[in-house]
Amino acid sequence: MTWGGIALGLFSFGIIGFGFYWVIRMEYFLGYAWWPYPMALGILMVVGSLFVPDPGWSALLGITGGSFVWGATELKEQAVRAELGWFRFNPNPKPRPPFYKLIKKIPPPHL
Amino acid sequence: MLQFAGFWMALATFCGIWWGHVGVRWLEARSPRIGPPMIVLSVLGIALNIYSLFAPNLTIAGIASIIGITLLWDAFEVYRQTQRVAHGHAPANPRNPRHAALLARPGTHATSVDLLDREPTGEPVVIENMAPFRPKKKVEAREYHEVQV
Repeated sequence: MTWGGIALGLFSFGIIGFGFYWVIRMEYFLGYAWWPYPMALGILMVVGSLFVPDPGWSALLGITGGSFVWGATELKEQAVRAELGWFRFNPNPKPRPPFYKLIKKIPPPHL
Repeated sequence: MLQFAGFWMALATFCGIWWGHVGVRWLEARSPRIGPPMIVLSVLGIALNIYSLFAPNLTIAGIASIIGITLLWDAFEVYRQTQRVAHGHAPANPRNPRHAALLARPGTHATSVDLLDREPTGEPVVIENMAPFRPKKKVEAREYHEVQV
């Protein structure tokens, strides 16, 4: 009997919970136009996990990466939720991400 | 040699979250009663976690537990989705008798319009002003007037 799987499941549950937190905060302070950055970070983590020899550490990195990729797809919907008043709306101008003009040409992904 | 454990876990995590969002919405909108889907999701979740204890390797055990724990949470999410529908935060399905009853309730906040199906404008949106909303499907004008906050 191995408890490693359950430990990874619980870690995944925790990291998904953290995902809700950072998506709300990131949209509030930076805005949804920053979506490619958590997406790239998540993809880098998943690619990086391929080169981690230990399966346990590789799994932790992969789970975190998968969660970041999902979070990136959630930012646009979070912006809409805030505008509808379901979450706190930040009336202050938000900083533009690097390569903003390029990002604007790509439709933000959402599930 | 590449280590694929992380890749499979990432896929399981992403698919688990995807199902938790899209699948739960789909299931809740089509279920006349929420009890049966909640029981099925809970049983599947527990079964997958028990299986993960006896899985032949860490990758299979991890995938089983990630999906299992996600399904257990989704059982609770089915209930939370009913609350979102009641508050108008998710579209009601008029063909579902449970949702139809919510839509018919006097002073209801429930609506069949998907308020999230729009582009962000950068400004707070007044619900009564439905101009920025462009639902994919044609929505009867009557449905716009049902939206209240």
